[in-house]
Amino acid sequence: MEERLLHPADGNSTSRQFGGAAPFFVGLVVALIFGWWAFPGLLFSEQEQPINFSHKVHIQDAEMECSACHYFREDGTFAGLPTTESCAECHSDEPLGEDPEEARFIKEYVETGKEVKWRVYQAQPDNVFFSHAAHSLESCNACHDFSETELCSQCHIDVANMDKAPTYYENKLTKYSKQTMKMWQCERCHAHPEHYGVTRSSNACFVCHK
Amino acid sequence: MAVDRRGFLKFVAGATTGVLATPVPWKLLDDVSIWTQNWPWIPRNVDGENSYVSTISKLCPSAAGMKVRLVGPRPVRVLPDDNHPLSMGGITALAAAEVQLMYSPSRVKRPLKHAGDGAFVAISWEEAEKMLKENLRRAGSKVAYVSGDETGTINELLSGMAKESGSEDFYVMPSEVQPAARAFASMNGNGQLGYDIENSDYVFAIGANILESWGTVLRNRAAYKNSHPAAEKPTVKFVYAGPVQNNTAAGSDEWLPAKSGTEAIVAMGIANLLIKAGATIDAPDFAEFKALAAQFTPQKVAALAGVTPAKLKAITAELSKAKRPVVLTGSEFGQGTGVATVLAGTAVNMLLGGFGREGGVTAIPLAPKVIASGMDRAEIADKDLVAYLSRISAGKVATPRAMVFYEANPVYGLPQPAAMAKVMDKVPFKVAFTSFLDETAEACDLILPTPLGLERFDDVESPYGINQAFYGLARPVAPCVIDGKPAADVLLGVAGQLNMDLGFETFEEVLQAKAEAAGADWDSLMEGEFFTSDAVAEQSDLRIAADVIGKALAAAPKPAKLSIAPVQKLNIGTPNTAIPPYNNKTIRRWELQKNEMYVAMNGATARELGVVKHQRIKLSNSSGSIQARVNIFEGVMPNTIAVLMGFGHTAFDEFSKGKGENVMELLTVGYEAGTGQSVWNVAGVNVSKA
Repeated sequence: MEERLLHPADGNSTSRQFGGAAPFFVGLVVALIFGWWAFPGLLFSEQEQPINFSHKVHIQDAEMECSACHYFREDGTFAGLPTTESCAECHSDEPLGEDPEEARFIKEYVETGKEVKWRVYQAQPDNVFFSHAAHSLESCNACHDFSETELCSQCHIDVANMDKAPTYYENKLTKYSKQTMKMWQCERCHAHPEHYGVTRSSNACFVCHK
Repeated sequence: MAVDRRGFLKFVAGATTGVLATPVPWKLLDDVSIWTQNWPWIPRNVDGENSYVSTISKLCPSAAGMKVRLVGPRPVRVLPDDNHPLSMGGITALAAAEVQLMYSPSRVKRPLKHAGDGAFVAISWEEAEKMLKENLRRAGSKVAYVSGDETGTINELLSGMAKESGSEDFYVMPSEVQPAARAFASMNGNGQLGYDIENSDYVFAIGANILESWGTVLRNRAAYKNSHPAAEKPTVKFVYAGPVQNNTAAGSDEWLPAKSGTEAIVAMGIANLLIKAGATIDAPDFAEFKALAAQFTPQKVAALAGVTPAKLKAITAELSKAKRPVVLTGSEFGQGTGVATVLAGTAVNMLLGGFGREGGVTAIPLAPKVIASGMDRAEIADKDLVAYLSRISAGKVATPRAMVFYEANPVYGLPQPAAMAKVMDKVPFKVAFTSFLDETAEACDLILPTPLGLERFDDVESPYGINQAFYGLARPVAPCVIDGKPAADVLLGVAGQLNMDLGFETFEEVLQAKAEAAGADWDSLMEGEFFTSDAVAEQSDLRIAADVIGKALAAAPKPAKLSIAPVQKLNIGTPNTAIPPYNNKTIRRWELQKNEMYVAMNGATARELGVVKHQRIKLSNSSGSIQARVNIFEGVMPNTIAVLMGFGHTAFDEFSKGKGENVMELLTVGYEAGTGQSVWNVAGVNVSKA
């Protein structure tokens, strides 16, 4: 019968026998690299907007405000993204600038009447009720001193100075955008006691989850 | 370097520790929780601009005016329309469900033909129209058309096609309209009877279920609402006479229990007392009427209708005292009443000086027909579908070779439906223009899907009961969600191919001509406006038609010992719609539980029959039988069983099919003496334990 030894017969030390702590640290580093570097690439797919839209051209060159396109309708509802029809109020027959993307927009969308399937960085599930009307300049500027662009960029990506529309990262599991707000971000204001005192913006569940 | 087991375990321990220090587990946990909410069947909000379109319901029998809310291009909700004369700030339970009915599971989505093995086979429109054309050509003059629309100009088109083929057989599904039109015609009247409820100071409805199903319901309700301010004393007294405390009785200031089918007798009892008090009518046959009314003493009315003499006298006294009283007579379930019912009611109004007076009865002019070969409303009112089918059954008239059903469901909606269906079985070719796969469509050889009123152009001219001439359009507020074609356009195309000369190429041209004939401005109508006129139809040689009342009442069937009283509620739908899925939750637990319906009787009747609440019983008579459970309700008069209409569908979908039983099975058709009008407002019944 083979002899079973509690210690190595050749006299090697325990640390050499089991590689010491090296495998542990190798595993730790591999997991950290995977978790922080590889995982996001696997979880999110990168997508570009169907047409490149330069907010910079519209805001800086054309001196437009956010609300020129993202406006409140007469009945108080928020229009959100402009329709092709509203874009065509300016971009109709001939391109206004040199950007080939504008010419492509006119050819592919304005002339065909097709709507652009914009990828919305801030899209929320239907169980999140968000009213733009309640988050107006009038309400927030009771204390703050936001410009329209500053107010919008409290929640939205600050695209005002961007010539190229940011890449959209779609979560492969949830299908929502990487850039969309999570609840804790809403709570930065909603759970703030001073905000409640001024705006009555309660942090109760039913305020957003109808 | 070889990795042994212990080294591997150390690697795993390190990797596990490392992973916990990365977003991987925490992010995945969060995302999985969101992923579980993303099931494909969860409806998603579709954002868009809110807009409102004013139109008229073609599904609701009261032709409800309504405002449709659209989000972007999609209709989402039907709302009351404060400015519409057929809404006046109200909406009916059926019209409210109209948007959701666009997506009903029982909608016919494409043309279907009945294959030899009984299955439905989808076919193209081209093939369907060819099949229709060939069968109509083959049928020649042996064709009959049946319409389920009371107010549309399509009836001129359908009757015009019948006449162009050499047939006189065009019929509209029975309602209150036919007896009323025939009654007024027998009085030498011109136009259509209208009731000025809103300007009346005393409203007495005998049978007419004015707050639920009779006439322009929403106008009636508006008059009721305005005269019954919350927490204040009513300014107008509403009294209802009928066998069941239905929605009208429940809202009225006084309910006068009166047996089913005795509306004319109650009216004659009041005429008797009014004449005794000195009231007269300036009509050539007043003497004859006076002699007839003298027979209807309070004692006789009490014996026949169950209304006590004291109560009858009290109501008559209140009517006499009122400045602008109006009396409305009709069937408590919107059909099956006789011509005499309307004549007796009109006579009472004349005795009260209410004919042509504000707050009384008026005659409104109707627009002339625009399709020369078509029938006008008076001609249509003379056509009795139930009598026609009975004559076919008896072999007195030939069975047509083809029948065309336009948004009509006679296989479910007529009295003695099994017998009526048997007659229709003999017809070699039947075609249904319908939005829903109803009982009649299932019995047809060809089914052609029609867009709903929200998806097509259609019109409404002066619904019965309205006190001013009206013309308005139903406009398409949304694209048709099925592969449907408006029946009128299909029929005009087929008519052209069969060389029929109807004078129009498209239905829009027909509607334009009708609008012009009514005096309306087409452009305004297209913008959602409507046409009303306070013009009154001139009358000459108006009579009471006492001879017609006399003959009808002399041979009227005596109320049975135990009779049934059908109850109509619009939330349960019509034969054309069945129960709108949107409305199933409005059916109360004492009306329907799962698939079993309840019938209501009062405690005394239940004791006499030896039945208790929830007991399963069988109601039967010579026409048929139904099963139900018992509900005890003291709002039903003695020896009467109240049965809800609208249940017992054998077609449609899970929301209607097999739910309860069809009360029409128990309604027996009789014919009014003198007029020959088919009636089914008196039905005796036997009860046994099931």
